[in-house]
Amino acid sequence: MSNLLLLLILLPVAAALVCYFVRSSAVRKLTVVATGAILTLASLALLGQGAFEPVMVGSFLGISSDFLVTVLDFALLGVIFFYGLKHRNLLIQGFSLVQAALLVWFELFMIDHSAVPALMGDELSIIMVLIISIIGSLICIFAIPYMDEHEEHLHLKKSRQPRFFFFLVLFLGAMNGLVLANNIMWLYFFFEVTTLCSFMLIGHDATEVATKNSVRALWMNSLGGVAFVIGMMLVYAKTGSLSITDILAAGPQGALMVTGVGFLCLAGFTKAAQVPFQSWLLGAMVAPTPVSALLHSSTMVKAGVYVVLRFAPAYAGTLLSDGVAICGAFTFVACAALAIGQSNGKKILAYSTVSNLGLIICCAGINTPLAITAAVMLIIFHAISKSLLFLCVGTIEQSIGSRDIEDMRGLYAKYPRTALLTIIGILTMLLPPFGVLMGKWMAIEAASSNIWVIVMLAMGSALTVVYWARWGGSLMASRDADAPAERQPALISMPLMTLCASAVVLSFASPWIYNYMLAPMFKSAPFAMNLGVLSGSMGSYAVAPLFIALGLGVLFAAKAAAGFRKVKIAAPYVAGANTPDDMDGTYIGPMNGPVPFTAANMYLGELFAEGKLTPIFNALAIALIVLMLGGAL
Amino acid sequence: MDTLLLIILGLVAGPVLGGLIAGLDRRVTAWFQSRQGPPIMQAFYDVAKLLGKEKMVVNQWQILCAWVYMIAAAISVALFFAQGDLLLIFFVQAVGAVFLVMGAMAAKSPYSQVGAQRELMQILAYEPVLILVFVGFYLVTGSFSIEAVWQLDQPLLAKMPLLYLALGYALTIKLRKSPFDFSTSHHGHQELVKGVLTEYSGPYLALVEIAHWYETVLVLGLCSLFWTTNPLWMAVLLIGTYMLEILVDNTMARMTWRWMLKRVWLLGMGMSVVNLIWLYAG
Repeated sequence: MSNLLLLLILLPVAAALVCYFVRSSAVRKLTVVATGAILTLASLALLGQGAFEPVMVGSFLGISSDFLVTVLDFALLGVIFFYGLKHRNLLIQGFSLVQAALLVWFELFMIDHSAVPALMGDELSIIMVLIISIIGSLICIFAIPYMDEHEEHLHLKKSRQPRFFFFLVLFLGAMNGLVLANNIMWLYFFFEVTTLCSFMLIGHDATEVATKNSVRALWMNSLGGVAFVIGMMLVYAKTGSLSITDILAAGPQGALMVTGVGFLCLAGFTKAAQVPFQSWLLGAMVAPTPVSALLHSSTMVKAGVYVVLRFAPAYAGTLLSDGVAICGAFTFVACAALAIGQSNGKKILAYSTVSNLGLIICCAGINTPLAITAAVMLIIFHAISKSLLFLCVGTIEQSIGSRDIEDMRGLYAKYPRTALLTIIGILTMLLPPFGVLMGKWMAIEAASSNIWVIVMLAMGSALTVVYWARWGGSLMASRDADAPAERQPALISMPLMTLCASAVVLSFASPWIYNYMLAPMFKSAPFAMNLGVLSGSMGSYAVAPLFIALGLGVLFAAKAAAGFRKVKIAAPYVAGANTPDDMDGTYIGPMNGPVPFTAANMYLGELFAEGKLTPIFNALAIALIVLMLGGAL
Repeated sequence: MDTLLLIILGLVAGPVLGGLIAGLDRRVTAWFQSRQGPPIMQAFYDVAKLLGKEKMVVNQWQILCAWVYMIAAAISVALFFAQGDLLLIFFVQAVGAVFLVMGAMAAKSPYSQVGAQRELMQILAYEPVLILVFVGFYLVTGSFSIEAVWQLDQPLLAKMPLLYLALGYALTIKLRKSPFDFSTSHHGHQELVKGVLTEYSGPYLALVEIAHWYETVLVLGLCSLFWTTNPLWMAVLLIGTYMLEILVDNTMARMTWRWMLKRVWLLGMGMSVVNLIWLYAG
């Protein structure tokens, strides 16, 4: 058991080192693909073994592993401080020094250094490991051909890929460590590793804007680090334990301890880029696409929601819990509104990520078995669909040289495969019978007992439809009969196809996933599952029957559409002024000249302008966070 | 077995009732305007004629989208008759609504593009109101399933009067009636032409029409749930509501989407929230 866990954490570290030091592209490719394959198998093996009790890790070469982690903690803070000096950023310097000082205090005067089981694995941890190891690996594999192309565009003299893959692969190890940690010091250590990795990856291209955005990401996440240390100390002061299992078993223990958990949630908020911290994740899109895909789907931001969700039992039934729910719901609606005003595809995805993370955090705050089920379902299916969409946008960007959704109009005509994958990705984010919508359905039902939360969820849900539907619709177009087929390198198309297939297949399997992985998490499970139908006390969702009915319907519709060449193709209606030879909506305009068809979405600038709304939302969100932390007292 | 029968009943009754309502609607409207109007079966004749026309599209995606719109609308009605989960029924209905929009966006026609964007604004306006109405159902019955509504011994309308009014907004938008008929219009000879429907033609327009019948039945079905204790009063409520819709349709001019968003989000949501607060307190 312990070996499997160490494999999941240390193999990526070893692979990262190989990527960095062996400067051969063939070795690097092989290492990344092999690591991905082994991680996938190892995570499946972990799934096969099922949940397990906390385990001790023991020592390396006679040095206790806890001591090693402590030393590495300080080394990490040193590195972060160094980058704070290098970029002359007082915030980073300050936050890392504060963390170090608090940590020294904690180590010297508070902890009694008794042995704590370092790792554990309940259902939540195992689900996270699966997401990280499988989706993360697919993204790393996608990155191999992507980065070759990326560097070709940049005309680099010397490849910077070793550095890139070092941090990319290391990220997976850190994330696996984070979700498997039982000792809160270990959790903190891995939390900081992900901060550093994301900083390095965001700034990878070393352009002015990349550096600026990476520095912002670092200071915001360092602030999260400070909150984490404070939270950890407060929780320890009351419970006297570093073991997360023990802390959770004890439950809420009075104002001081709950405030500590509130700070841990705040740390989760920064990492999950909740408003007002969303700007670092939006800035992160300057990085090469695989980085965005990784940060947005399986790693980094999921670390944030994981922390909030992990500690949910420790604040159940407190006012803090309501505060977390309201903060999450606010982020959900605020970022959905901001997404409407965007035409930049990556920015829409980024806002959608933050918005969905808000929904997950909101569910953690509602803190009922139904809500927690919703949160985990959203984590799983959001990770799959969002990574697919990011990789699609990356592929589109390399094909058409733009990430603007207006430039993607009619993409199907030239790039049918990518367009189709993107459309499916969008539909899996938006509609039943897919998993994300199922999570949203559970979330809304779970939130019905809180009027403020439900009103925000209702609004956010409507806003979400608008920005997805118009994007999906604008990709559609007809292909000429003799149009050349689209070619994709195998390492690009394999991850895309796998993600797309799993978004669909796992959605179908979701009732069984629920039964096998989620139901055991609760004393009283929110649903009973029978023949693919989830039925609970509040409502029921016939996943499998609905899937089959809608699936057959769509297949039939697709078959009807595939026979379109037998159907007469007409020119669009332009009040009878079509130019005689064109079928593409060109019409005869002023001076008898042809006017080509153009269209643009309504971005509702007067209502949803980013510049106008962001400061308002940030101010409101800060007020809500203060309210949340105050609620813990 | 019962569920299966109910589903089949829903699938058949949807278009039949929807078509009849459409025919009656035209007759009553004509009566308001001192005209005689078409026969009540006219809606069926129209669709039958459309189905017999030559298949013509601008774009292959329209075929897919028209079919999915129809199928999703039918499934949502089937789920409604099977006493399913209200929220789920609504989300299945949303599949159809989204596909209708996407099909319109696939065509390079300015009218259908404008119509699609406006249709999205309509979805944006009615979706939160509908979700809050369902939350009201939950607060009264303790469940989102329709089955629970039939257990009540007092009409829901007594507990949710403001939510019913708010539902009226959603109903007007869904029925594409004035003042909210700006994603498509009844008459093609206007600046919008037929908006979101412009590029659907022939058999595919017939599919869209049938889907619309299903949707009509679904929203009226929702209204009927507000008075489940007595069939007579349920009928009175439904007829009264629909007559009011026709009256509003005939007396109001088409407004802009801005007007709608503000109106529905402020007034509709406001009424819903007030009513929900009563329910939470009660």
